[in-house]
Amino acid sequence: MMIKRLLIAAAALAYLGFLAVLGASYFIGLKQASSWPGPAREQAIADKDVAKVEKNVQQLEKKMGGLLPKGPYIVIDTAENRLLLKNGDQVVRTAVVSCGSGVVLEEPGGKKRSWVFDTPRGEFSVKSKITNPYWVKPDWAFVEEGEVIPKGLEDRIEAGTLGDYALGFGQGYFIHGTLYTRLLGRNVTHGCVRVGDEDLKYLFKAVPIGAKIYIY
Amino acid sequence: MKKTAVFAAIAAAGLAVLGWAVGPDKAALAKKQGALNAEYVLAKDAKFYFVFDVEGKKLELRVRGMVLRTWPLQAMRFWGRPDFVGTVELSKKTTLKAPERIVIKPGESELIAPAPGTKPAAAGAAAADYDLEALELRDMPKRFSLDFDNGLHVTVKAKGSGSSGFLGSMKDAWRWYVRLPLGHLFGARRGQGQSELEIVFNDEKDAQSIYWHMFDGIKGIIL
Repeated sequence: MMIKRLLIAAAALAYLGFLAVLGASYFIGLKQASSWPGPAREQAIADKDVAKVEKNVQQLEKKMGGLLPKGPYIVIDTAENRLLLKNGDQVVRTAVVSCGSGVVLEEPGGKKRSWVFDTPRGEFSVKSKITNPYWVKPDWAFVEEGEVIPKGLEDRIEAGTLGDYALGFGQGYFIHGTLYTRLLGRNVTHGCVRVGDEDLKYLFKAVPIGAKIYIY
Repeated sequence: MKKTAVFAAIAAAGLAVLGWAVGPDKAALAKKQGALNAEYVLAKDAKFYFVFDVEGKKLELRVRGMVLRTWPLQAMRFWGRPDFVGTVELSKKTTLKAPERIVIKPGESELIAPAPGTKPAAAGAAAADYDLEALELRDMPKRFSLDFDNGLHVTVKAKGSGSSGFLGSMKDAWRWYVRLPLGHLFGARRGQGQSELEIVFNDEKDAQSIYWHMFDGIKGIIL
């Protein structure tokens, strides 16, 4: 009987101790959180410095504005497969596109090369504008089809598959047309950006060489 | 005499209101200057960065000062050290089941994503219905966490994507109401107090696209 009482008392004490520690945690946590979101964020400005700070803010805003690309530029969302043609803050045209599938292709046999079919992300610029482009099939296109990789360039050239226009943005990547218009809006490509015919035509006419492309 | 007293009182009240009004403006100005200074350093570079406006309840992806994407927060809760604002870098993205890339070995798996040169198949079901062999937005997790180099741990989740069932709810509650406070208490004693933010989005696609766009090493500003 005595042992049972002692055990109950010990359990009650342990429970009360736990509650006390938890209470202390809450007290400290809430005390800190009351200064949220940051005690040092609002640095005091002396009255005499207000005009100086205002001027500094204006200069910074001007400098930030200067970082924006001049003239038309392209913004591509690889997750939503959307392309925006913009000029300044204005959206000139929106297009549904297809970006990289993210698939990895592994070459069978001795060479063991592999390719990751991602659309590259970052800041690029239009490096070339091509009408009626030919597709020079890279090695992966043959590996994927289980075909032998040809030695001659003429065996790699294919016409009519990239649409009527192509905008190159470096390292073999292009914004081009597609035969698979029903797959627009999905991630299916090998890294290039596929665009529907009408949108491609508009882009080709509107965007000069050197225009910025932001892919995220 | 009475009129003078009334005017004096009105003038004093006016000055007090003016002083109160100028105070917050100065704070806002200081905040704006700090934010612009920090952002300009990041925007000079061509890399993407994010701006997490905690008070404004929104997360933005930007480049060159241009907003590419805005994710408005539906809800948010916080525990721990409040000094997490400033320029940060994402050091780790964690999820229970990370999306995996599909590996194609010719001759072993069926090719579903066609190369530009292959003949298109006949039109049939809508494109959105296809289950493609691809890593898409829909494959991204709806719940994950982001660890930043300043010790801030952010749990991102879509509304309704929390742990399911009674046990799951208990686990969530235990973590938030017991484990975190205790961890913070004992961590703070060792100088390792933690900052824990939980942000919830209305649309599950928002959480998924954050996972897509927030890559390891991305820099950003927390306001």
